[in-house]
Amino acid sequence: MSSTTAPPRAEPPPPAAPRGPGRRPRAGRPDRSVLGLMLPALVPVVLFSVAPLVYGVYLAFTDARSGRNVDVAFVGPRNFADLLSDGDFWASFQIGLVWAVSVTVLQLAAGMGLALLLNQDLRLRWLARTLAMVPWAMPPVIVGLMWRLVYHPDAGILNATLRDIGLVSGDIDWLNDFSVALPAIIVVGVWTGMPQTTIVLLAGLQGVPRELREAAEVDGAGAWRRFRSVTLPQLRPVITTITSLNFVWNMNEFALVWVLTQGGPGGRTRLPMLYAYEEAFRYGFFGYAAAMGVAIVAVVLTVLAVYLRRQLKEMR
Amino acid sequence: MRRRILPLTAAALTGALALSACGTGADDGPVTLRFLSLAWQTESVEANERLVAEWNEANPDIRVEYVQGSWDNVNDQLMTGFEAGDPPDVIHNDSPALAGFAARGYLADLTGMIPEELKEDIRPEAWETATFGDQIVGVPFLQESQVFIANRELLEEADVRIPTPEDPWTWDEFAEASEELTDDDTYAVAWPLGNPVNRVLNLSLSYGGTFFEVDGEGRATARMGEPERAVLERIHDQIHTDRTADPGTVGMSGSDPLPAFFAEEYAMVQVGVYARQQVEEQAPEDFDWVTIPTPVGDTAEQGAASQTLSVAADSAHPEEAAEFISFFLNAENQVDLALGDWLLPTSQQAAAAPELNTEEDDWNVATASAQNLVVAPYLRVQGFDEWKNRVAQPALEEYFSGEIDIDELSERLETEGNDVLSRYH
Repeated sequence: MSSTTAPPRAEPPPPAAPRGPGRRPRAGRPDRSVLGLMLPALVPVVLFSVAPLVYGVYLAFTDARSGRNVDVAFVGPRNFADLLSDGDFWASFQIGLVWAVSVTVLQLAAGMGLALLLNQDLRLRWLARTLAMVPWAMPPVIVGLMWRLVYHPDAGILNATLRDIGLVSGDIDWLNDFSVALPAIIVVGVWTGMPQTTIVLLAGLQGVPRELREAAEVDGAGAWRRFRSVTLPQLRPVITTITSLNFVWNMNEFALVWVLTQGGPGGRTRLPMLYAYEEAFRYGFFGYAAAMGVAIVAVVLTVLAVYLRRQLKEMR
Repeated sequence: MRRRILPLTAAALTGALALSACGTGADDGPVTLRFLSLAWQTESVEANERLVAEWNEANPDIRVEYVQGSWDNVNDQLMTGFEAGDPPDVIHNDSPALAGFAARGYLADLTGMIPEELKEDIRPEAWETATFGDQIVGVPFLQESQVFIANRELLEEADVRIPTPEDPWTWDEFAEASEELTDDDTYAVAWPLGNPVNRVLNLSLSYGGTFFEVDGEGRATARMGEPERAVLERIHDQIHTDRTADPGTVGMSGSDPLPAFFAEEYAMVQVGVYARQQVEEQAPEDFDWVTIPTPVGDTAEQGAASQTLSVAADSAHPEEAAEFISFFLNAENQVDLALGDWLLPTSQQAAAAPELNTEEDDWNVATASAQNLVVAPYLRVQGFDEWKNRVAQPALEEYFSGEIDIDELSERLETEGNDVLSRYH
C-alpha cells in the first residue's frame, strides 16, 4: 500500500487526503482556544446542515402537509409503516438502485479507460485532459437540456445519425419509450459523472511508482498483467473512495433526471429523490416525503458500510 | 464537486421559512402587486404586457409588476411560494390546480370583491370552474374546447360531409367517415395521446362519463361504468380495430402530429382550439384546412377547465389585486387575450365581438363550441392531480398502446385510483 494514501474510513473522506507525518499527540480534551477557533466554522454547519437535517428527521415522524393553518401532529413511525407497503416507492427505489449501481460501475469503467489513456505520453495531452473535464464544468440543468436535444425524436442528432448509417428506420422516442428511457438517462449520467472519476483515477495513477511497472515488465509481464497485478492493487484505495462517493451522489441524483424526463414515462425513471420531491412539492405531503428522505439516507449508509468494510478487509 | 440539493433539506428549509416569514406590513406609499403570468405565445405575452402598462399608467398608486412564469413548473413554484408565505399577489393558473390550492386555504375568496358587471358578463358554467365550496377563488377568463382540424381537400375527395357546429357528426358517423378517409397511405385520424387524461375525460362527457363520484363531504371515489368506457373504447377501436387512426401518434402530445398532417399522412388531427394558431402559421401556402366540432354522443357536452386569475390569501393587498383583475378581464380586454392565445373568452360580451366570429381561421366554429362547455366533473375531486399523474396517465398510455384491455384499465383506474384518493379523505 502506498504510504502517502490514508485508507478510507466509514465516512467517505476527500480522495487521497495526505496525513502530515508529524501529527502532534492529541490531548484527551480539546482546549478552549481550539473550540473558539472552530466556532466560526461550526455555526454555518449547524445552521445550514445540522438544523435542517434534524428538522427533516422530525418531520418524518409527523403528518405535516401543505396548507395554511394546518395542525401538525406527531404520528410516530406511521409514515415508515406506510412506506413499507407503498409499492410505488419500492418500484422507485428499485429504479434508483439500478440507476446508481449501473452509473457508478460504468463511470468507473469508462473513467478508468480514459485515465489510463490520459496517463500515456500523448501529444497534446494537456488539451485532451482539459477537454475531458468539460462535462464537469456544465451545470446539470444545462446537461439535461443538451441531452434532451440529442435524444429528440424528430430533430435529435442521435436519431439522425442512426438513420444515416441505416441502423433504424423510424424515430425512436428515447426519453418517452417505456423500455429505453432508463438506459438513455443512465448514459447521460455516466457522461456527466465521468470527469471527476477520471481525474481522481488519474491522480491515483500518477502515484503508482514507475519502478514497480518497469520491474514487472523486466519480469516479462504483458500490458494486461501489469495493469491487473501492479496498477490495480495500487489504485485500490482510490477506487474504493471514488466508487463510494459516486454511489452516494448517484443515489441522490435529482436535477439531471428531473430536466430529462421528470420521472416519466409512467414513472420508469422516477428515482427515489424525484419521488420524494413529487410527494412534497406536488402533492404536499411533507411528513411522508421527509420519511422517504430518511429511509433513503439509511439505506445508502447501510450499503456503504457493508461495501467499505469489505473493501477495507480485503486491503489489509 | 457537483452540488446537490437534497429535497429533504429543501423541504426542511421551506418549512423553516414558513415559520419565520410574515406579512410585509402596510406602508403608505404606492402599493406594489406582483402578477405571475403564464402567457407564452408571442401575441399573448404582448397583450399581457400592454394591459399591465395601461393599468400602471392609469393607476399610479397601485403598481403592478409583471412576473413571467411557465406552465411547466408553476404549481411547484406556487407551492413553495405559498408555504414560504410570499406568493405573488395575482396568480395566473388553471382550474384543476385551483381545487387543491383552495382546499389548503392558499387562495383569497373573491366573492365580495368582483364588480357586478363582470360577474354577470362571465358565463355561469365558467364561474363554476373556479368556485369551490361557496368561495370564488379565481376569475375564469380563457377556456379551451376540443376540436378536430381537417384537411378539407381530403374530406371532399372522399365525399365526406363536413360537419358544422349546427350539424356535427355523431360518434358513429365519425367512425364511418374515418373508414372512408383511410387508405393505403393516409390515416383518417391522428389522436395525439401523450398527455391524454384531461382531454379524454373532457370528451367522455358526451356520453355522460364523469369518472368520479363525490359524496356530501367532498370525498371522491373513482368509478368506471358504461358511460366512462364509451369514448375510451371508440378511440381505442380506431387505433387497434378499425385501424383508421395512426398508432404512431399515441405517444405524441399537443401539436406534434402537425408536420405529418400537413404532409397529408392524416386527414384529421384532434387538438385544442388553440392549435389553429400553429396550423395557420406553419401550414404550406395552399393548404386548405377546416375546424370541425368533436362528435356528439348522448349530448354535445364537453368538460372544460378555465384559465384563471386568483389572489393569494397571503397577499397584503387583496382588494387592489381584485381591482386589477377586474380591469384586466373586462370584456374588451378578454377579446385581446382570447385572440392572443387563440382560446375562447368566458365573457359573453367578448364572445359576441366581431373579431371572434369571423370565418377567418374558423373563429366562428371555435367560438360556437364554447356553448357546449360545462364544468369538468374532476375539478371537484380532491387528489385528482395525483390520481392523474400516478394512476391514470400510465394506465391510459398502456391502454392506448394496446398493452392492456378496457377491463384491466377500469380495474386500475378504480382500485389504484381509490388508494390514491383515500389519502385526501
